[in-house]
Amino acid sequence: MGDMLQAATLAADFPGLAQGVNGEPLAYLDNAATTHMPRPVQDAMRAFETRSRANIHRGVHTLSQRSTEAFEQARATLKRFVGAGAQHELVFTSGTTEALNLVAHGLSDAGQDGPVLQPGDDIVVTALEHHANLVPWQLAARRSGARLLVLRPDRQGRLHIDELAPLLSPRTRVFAVTACANATGERPPYEALMALAAEAGALTVLDAAQAMAHEVPLLSQLPCDFMAFSGHKMYGPMGIGALVGRRPALERLTPLRLGGDMVEWVSETSASFAALPARLEGGTPHVAGAVGMAAAADYMDAIGLEAIDAHVRALRAHAVAGLSALPGLTVLSPDAGRSAIVSFVAAAAHPHDLGTLLDERGIAVRTGNHCAQPLLEWLGVGPTTRASFALYNTHDEVERLIDGVAFALEVLK
Amino acid sequence: MSTVADDLYQDLVVEHKRAPRHFGTLAAPTHQARGRNPQCGDDVQVQLQLEGDVVRDIRFSGQGCAICIASTSMMTEAVLGREAGVVRELQQHFRAVLTGQEQPQEATLGKLVSLSGVSRYPSRIKCALLGWHALMHALQAPEPHASEEAAR
Repeated sequence: MGDMLQAATLAADFPGLAQGVNGEPLAYLDNAATTHMPRPVQDAMRAFETRSRANIHRGVHTLSQRSTEAFEQARATLKRFVGAGAQHELVFTSGTTEALNLVAHGLSDAGQDGPVLQPGDDIVVTALEHHANLVPWQLAARRSGARLLVLRPDRQGRLHIDELAPLLSPRTRVFAVTACANATGERPPYEALMALAAEAGALTVLDAAQAMAHEVPLLSQLPCDFMAFSGHKMYGPMGIGALVGRRPALERLTPLRLGGDMVEWVSETSASFAALPARLEGGTPHVAGAVGMAAAADYMDAIGLEAIDAHVRALRAHAVAGLSALPGLTVLSPDAGRSAIVSFVAAAAHPHDLGTLLDERGIAVRTGNHCAQPLLEWLGVGPTTRASFALYNTHDEVERLIDGVAFALEVLK
Repeated sequence: MSTVADDLYQDLVVEHKRAPRHFGTLAAPTHQARGRNPQCGDDVQVQLQLEGDVVRDIRFSGQGCAICIASTSMMTEAVLGREAGVVRELQQHFRAVLTGQEQPQEATLGKLVSLSGVSRYPSRIKCALLGWHALMHALQAPEPHASEEAAR
């Protein structure tokens, strides 16, 4: 489909990308770590800070009312964006990591009514997860006495539904899975996996962080109790994210942040908690962040999610073809067609050396373990180099990546 | 104009990366330690045979980037046969050069001077120091037990 998204107007939307790095035009291919923010998002945040900045929910004055309205409007926009229905609610968090911690903690902490997770329960996670969807479950298992089981991929890094069935039982309380593995780009069949887990009676958790920039999971069509995502990986600001899910599931969570705004009634020795969503949003939230995150959703909607998805998939396919043709280079999850991430290893070149040599040409990629050490050990590959694409990237940049890697392999030979 | 290839990947560096010296393990090390950088996956084990205060033999194993492997390889050549005090001094000089606190002098650093360009790439300094971290911990380690320490 060429670079139809790279119209001049679109390029002008991303001022951060129009700069030189080491004398070359920047090719920003680290979007799985964070995406750049378009002007309309920056404008929305600036407008909020300039005109409406005030604390929410507490004031009767005009600015506080405007701020409250902006925050609740952002919530409504994002709920619509992820296909939330009347049975769903969205709570703002600082990001995917806090959202996943909120779920794992909320199910294992005793709270006021005892923990959901009990000794003898099973928690099933997959080996594709980044640390934020693994470590909180390790701790939740330890805290509650539940057992942690891991659904492992095959040697190509693919998860199979047949492999999940034997791990499930009436004791399965939680199943947590990613919508896209950040270390390999693998896009697991999470719809079918979650359906099977839900059938077994488990609460299902989807880490949608890597999907939101191009393939937004639609809650109304998913057997999903909890879905976590971040603003900064969907063209929005850093430090804001969301946990969205089914109301009855969210109501079972013991709040992680206790304090102002999340309580209904407080005495010197006890308190009762407010209803959702306030119950899980203690303290002053990142209101400008919520406004920016909603503006980012509107921006993506205006361009068209299908067009964005088709564009990043084409860039990924281009990169896979070009990189695979280089000597001694292996692309992970080469068949992950529904992905914006290409991760690769070279026999004779360490990712850090590749990353430095690419940076010299203005090409920004990620190198290392991508917070997914167990997966890379399981695949037997060690650290990788990762390029990840967003709506503003071009096929010319993919060519520069392939040329740059070829040059680096020559230097390091 | 200087390039990354000139700054970081001089022929000598790439040659050490390709054929690291003293790569392997010792049958009966008196001291050893491991340096790890979990972010990038680099992992280097350094083993020593100390006789009194003198490094009689040294081996290293593990994996890392070109800068890490070349630096550790050159380190093994530089410290073999030296006393622990001299080794510590060399480490301090090398570290000071990499962190920009000292000018590189061939007289002090020998071959290691070829890594002085790392000082212009702050994110890579930890790569060049990982093997040295392991060496310093090995020298401190109460023999004959291994100590394990992640690089900061």
